[in-house]
Amino acid sequence: MAVAKMKKVYLIGHQTEKDYTLSLLQRMAVMEVSDLQGKMLPDTAWAELLEQDGAQESLQELEVRLLEVRFALDFLNRHYPQKKGLLSGLEDNRIPMELHNFKSQAVAWRQKAQEVYRELRRADDKLMALRNDETRLQNLRLLLKPWEKLDLALQEIRNTLQVCLELGMLPAEELAAFRTALTAAAEDAFLTEVHTDRDESFILTAYAVSSKETLQEALKQFTFNRQDFASLQGTAGENLLRIEDELAQAAIQRRAVLEEAGIQAAFREQLNCFSDYLVMERDKNQLVNSLARTENAFVMDGWVKEKDLSHLEQKLAVECKTVLCLAREPEVDEPFPVALENPPFAAPYEFITKLYGTPKPRGIDPTMALTPFFVVFFGICMSDAGYGLIIAALGAWMLWKVKLGPALRHVFKIVLACGISTIFFGALIGGWFGGLIPVQPFFFNALEDPMRMLIYALAIGIFQILVGMGIMFYWKVKEGKWMDAVFDQLFWALFLAGLILLAFPQTAGAARVLALGAAAGLVLTQGRAQKGIVKKFLSGLFSLYNVTAYLGDILSYSRLLALGLATSVIAMSVNMLSAMLGGTVIGSVFMVIMLVVGHLFNLVINILGAYVHSSRLQYLEFFNRFFESGGRPFKPFKLNTNHVNVAPGAPLGPEPRETMAV
Amino acid sequence: MEIGLALAILGAAAATMLAGIGSAIGIGIAGQTSAGVISEDPDKFGLTIVLTALPGTQGIYGLIMGFLILFRTGLLGGEVIALTTAQGLGLLFAALPIGFVGWYSAIYQGKAAAASIQLIAKRPEEFGKGMIYPVMVETYAVFALLMSIMIFMFLPF
Repeated sequence: MAVAKMKKVYLIGHQTEKDYTLSLLQRMAVMEVSDLQGKMLPDTAWAELLEQDGAQESLQELEVRLLEVRFALDFLNRHYPQKKGLLSGLEDNRIPMELHNFKSQAVAWRQKAQEVYRELRRADDKLMALRNDETRLQNLRLLLKPWEKLDLALQEIRNTLQVCLELGMLPAEELAAFRTALTAAAEDAFLTEVHTDRDESFILTAYAVSSKETLQEALKQFTFNRQDFASLQGTAGENLLRIEDELAQAAIQRRAVLEEAGIQAAFREQLNCFSDYLVMERDKNQLVNSLARTENAFVMDGWVKEKDLSHLEQKLAVECKTVLCLAREPEVDEPFPVALENPPFAAPYEFITKLYGTPKPRGIDPTMALTPFFVVFFGICMSDAGYGLIIAALGAWMLWKVKLGPALRHVFKIVLACGISTIFFGALIGGWFGGLIPVQPFFFNALEDPMRMLIYALAIGIFQILVGMGIMFYWKVKEGKWMDAVFDQLFWALFLAGLILLAFPQTAGAARVLALGAAAGLVLTQGRAQKGIVKKFLSGLFSLYNVTAYLGDILSYSRLLALGLATSVIAMSVNMLSAMLGGTVIGSVFMVIMLVVGHLFNLVINILGAYVHSSRLQYLEFFNRFFESGGRPFKPFKLNTNHVNVAPGAPLGPEPRETMAV
Repeated sequence: MEIGLALAILGAAAATMLAGIGSAIGIGIAGQTSAGVISEDPDKFGLTIVLTALPGTQGIYGLIMGFLILFRTGLLGGEVIALTTAQGLGLLFAALPIGFVGWYSAIYQGKAAAASIQLIAKRPEEFGKGMIYPVMVETYAVFALLMSIMIFMFLPF
C-alpha cells in the first residue's frame, strides 16, 4: 500500500555515448526524463557551462520516413484490409525480437520501405487521376442524358450565318408560355421538346439570326438556361456510349493498378516493424530536445524508482564508459511523479484507483485496501453462482488461452477474481441461474430474508468505513499528527461504534457511555481550529451534525442487497417465463433460446451494475475517509512498439557502438 | 376479478411503466450526447456506452417490482389468489416508490450521464470521476427499490 519511493537522478556523459544511453533508458523503461528546456539547472554551479541541446537533423529525416511508412500502411489497409479475428483487439501478437536484430534488420526494411512507398505513391497518383476522370465523365453523362433522343450531331448545334440553333432547359410548367412567346415574337422560330422529366423541359430552338434581339427581349422573363455542347463530336447518344466505354476502361485500369499495387501487401509486416523502429528512433531523438549539453557532454535529469536505481547504475557502469549517474532524495516539498507499488494480488486493482485519480506524491495508495472490498462487493451484487461460473470461466480462458498485453492481463485477473467471488456469494446467499439448478444456498437465501441481508450489507459498510478511518488514523500517527488521529478519527470511530451498539440490548448500557463520552470528546476537540472558547464550543457541537453524513454513507451500502435481489428476481423471471414456453417440441426450442438470451441479458446488465456500484462504494464512501488524489503519474521513457516486442533491458549483444556526430 | 387483484395489477403496471418511461428518456438524453461524441472520436464508444446504459437500470428495477407482484398474486406461474381490496392496495403502494423515483431519477441520471459523457470526451482519463455523478443519482433509485421490496416482503398476508 504505497506510493513508490522516487529518486532524482542526473546522468552526465560524453556526447558520443548519448544515443547509446538513451537507447538503454528506452529499453529499461525505468526513468522519467524531465524537460530541461527553459530551466537550465539554474541553481547548479555549472549552470553557465550548459546550453540547450537541440534536436538533430536526423529527427526531421525520421519524421519524413515515418510519414511515408504510415502512408504506405494506410494505403494497404484501405485497399487490402486484413481479416481480423474476434479477439484481435485483445491479443498481443507482437513479434519478440532482440534489439540488435531489430536494428540490423532495419537497414533492409528501410530499403524495402522506400521501394514500397514509391510504388504505392505511384499507384495512389494513378488512382487519383482515374478518379478525377471518372468524376468528369459522370458529370458529363448527367448533362447529356436528357439529350439522348436528339439525333443531331452536337457540333452542328451552333449559329450559322442565317440561323441560330440553341439547346437549353427551362421549368416544365413554363414550356407552354415559352412556346407561345417564342412564336409571337418570331413567326419562323422553331421549337422542339427533346425530353421532359418531372420538372424540367429540355428543348431545341431555331430562329433566324435577324430576329435574335427581339426574341431575347421577349424571352427575358423565362428561366431559360442555354447549354452548349459544341465541343463534343457526334450525337448525345453516341457521346453517352463513348462515356460508358471510357468509364468501363477506367474501371479496368483501376483494377489493374490495384492488382499491381497488391503485390506490395506482402511487405506489410516489414512495414509495420519498420514503423516501430522509426517510432523508437524518433522518440529517442525527440527526447534530445529535453536534454542540456556542454561542448562535449550531455546532461539529463529525471526520476527513477528507488528499487530500480541500483539496476540502472549497474547497467550504466557496465555498458557505458563515461556516463555518470548521480542520485538524490527528493527535497522536502519537491513534487515527484507517482508510481504505485503493490503486491501481485493487488496490482491489477491499481486500474480502479487510477480511474479515480493518482495519489499525491506523499499520500496514501488505496489500492491494497480497496482490493478485497471491491471483489467482495462485486460478488454480493451479482450473487448468483451460475453467473459467477461464467464470469470466472471467461476470465480464466482469457488469461490462459489468449496472449494478452499486460494491461489486459490485469483486467482479466480482476474478472477472474470477481467471478470466483460471485460463485462464493452465489452459493452462500443466492442461487444457481436464479434457481434453474435447484441448490439451496449454504447460508441463507437473501431473497427470502432480505432484512437479514440488509443488516449484513450495512455491517460490511460500517466495517469498510471503519477500515478507512483506521487507515487515516495510522497515516496521521505516522505523520506525527497524533492529535488529528485521535480527535478526528478515533473519537468519530468510537462515537459511531457506540451508536451502533446501542441497537443491541445486551450492550446498550456500555454503548450509551461510549457514545456520550465520544460525543463529549468531539464537542471539545472538533472546534480546535477556531479562536475563542465560545466559537470552539459551538463549532465542536455543530460537528456532531456530521453524524448524518456517516449514516448516509452507511445506508448507501444497502445497494449491496438491492443489486443482489435484482439479479435473483430477473433470473427467476427468466426461468419462469421460459418454463411457460416448454411442453411441445417447438416450445422447448424457444424455451432454450429464451433461457440463454434472458440469462445473458441479465448477466451483462448486472455486471455493469455490479462494477459501477462496487466502484462507487470505493470512490465515495471509502475514499472519502482517507484518500486524496492529485499526483502526477510516473511516465518513464520507454519503447512504444505495436508489432515488435523488444526484450526490455536484455543484454545488448555484439552491437557496435554507434557514434553520433558531435 | 376481485378489485384487490385489479389494484395489484395496477401496481405491477405502474412500477414497470413509470420507471420504464424514465429510463427511456434518460437513455435517450445520454444517447444523444454519446452519438455527438462518437462523431468526433469513434474510439470512445466503449466508455460512452457504460455511461449511456446507466439510466437503464431504473426500468429494470421497475420490471423487477412488476414481476414480484405478478408472482405474488399468482398471475405468473401459479394459482391466482384472492386478494382483498386492502391487500391489493398494499401491493399497489409497494410499487409506488420504485415507480416514481425510478421515473424521475432516470431522467436526471440521464442528464448527469450526458454531462459526464462530455467530460470524458475532453478528458477520457477522468472516466472514474465521470461515472460517479450519474451513479450518485442512481442511489435514490436503489433506495426506492429497496423500500418497494421491503414493503412487498412485509405486507401482512
